Amino acid sequence: MQVVLDQFEAFVGVNFFTMIFAWINLIILYVFLKKLLFNPVKNMIDSRQKEIDDMYSDAEANRTDAEAMKTEYESKLAAADAESEQILKTAIRRAQLREEEILKDADLKAARTLERAEEQIEKEKRQAINDVKSEISSIALDIAAAVIERDVDAKDHAALIDEFIDKIGE
Amino acid sequence: MDLSVTGAKIYFKIPFLFGTEIRITQTTISLLVVTIILITAAYFLGRNLKKRPGRLQVITEKGVTMLYGLVEETMGKHNLKFAPYIGALLLSSFAGSLIGTTQLFRSTTADLSVTLAWALVTSVMVWYSNIKNFGFVAWLKGFTEPVVVMTPMNIVSEIAQPISLAFRHFGNVAGGGVLTSLVYAALAALSNLLFGWLPGLLGSLPFMQAGIPAFLSIYFDLFSGFVQALVFSLLTMVYVGSANPPPEEIPERPKKKAKFNASDI
Repeated sequence: MQVVLDQFEAFVGVNFFTMIFAWINLIILYVFLKKLLFNPVKNMIDSRQKEIDDMYSDAEANRTDAEAMKTEYESKLAAADAESEQILKTAIRRAQLREEEILKDADLKAARTLERAEEQIEKEKRQAINDVKSEISSIALDIAAAVIERDVDAKDHAALIDEFIDKIGE
Repeated sequence: MDLSVTGAKIYFKIPFLFGTEIRITQTTISLLVVTIILITAAYFLGRNLKKRPGRLQVITEKGVTMLYGLVEETMGKHNLKFAPYIGALLLSSFAGSLIGTTQLFRSTTADLSVTLAWALVTSVMVWYSNIKNFGFVAWLKGFTEPVVVMTPMNIVSEIAQPISLAFRHFGNVAGGGVLTSLVYAALAALSNLLFGWLPGLLGSLPFMQAGIPAFLSIYFDLFSGFVQALVFSLLTMVYVGSANPPPEEIPERPKKKAKFNASDI
């Protein structure tokens, strides 16, 4: 190695060894800048971008899900409303039917009871009339016997007495 | 007052094979310094990255995003794999121009060897991509288009491409340096003329050199350095991008098709 003083390269000149130095430096710079700076920074930017994109797509998916769920619930709610209304309607109709049935039944029963009561009354009335008739006839016989002082044969005069009573009853 | 326009100062000479010698120059040192600074910066910027970034990480991410955006815009989405190389090229070019403002080191890009080396990398990438995508024969055949007569001109333009790329960058930075030193010398002469009659040390101080060169430095080192780095990277992107068209535009080559193909079964 020789140390030189006050010697200069040509102003416009090419030194092959300087070119080799330039190449070596450029290659080293390329390798190290890529490894230390460009790749890490680029990866960081890309990963952040990806994270943001993921976040946005997640949010979008969640929103779509929520919307679908909302629609589903709304339709379910509407269905439930319709069903409850249907149930209510059916119940009301059934109740009305039952009411009518009960009323009809009651009417029928009442009518039958009334009829039976009337029948009973009629029967009792007839019985009473008959009882009164026989009582009166016996009384009349007694009276007549008392009047004519002799025993009136009930059998003989029954027809007569009955006729008499019938005239009275009118 | 003498003013000499020279290249990089030579520090050491190391004998190499066949009588050649490796010259360790200002440029060599500057290249090394730039590499160390950029790798250190990359190490500190690229570690402890968080999902919730701090202020510095936001700026770093903004820069990386801009770089990838620029590559995607210029070369297409399918060529994003070139982004780290473009980033390394852009940063080493800009930092290489900027390191000249320290006055401790010479700008790496003020040396034609450096810019030519980078330009040749671009050309090799273009040639490699062309041969890989279109085949060696098709690449050679491309020189005879549109007409066979154009072949010499096509070859010349292919060779001129890296040379023009290298000289554009070198010329801007080195020319800026030369202009700055010229202005310095002129301002020193003006100082001598205006204040030379002052006694002692006062007379020899170049007062006029204060101020004006700062603006020159802002233009030539900061602005021009950045623009040239951008231009170099953009041209590299355009050249390499056009040699790497989108996959659907690359014609199927019969040679490859004759090979075993899983989809043929």
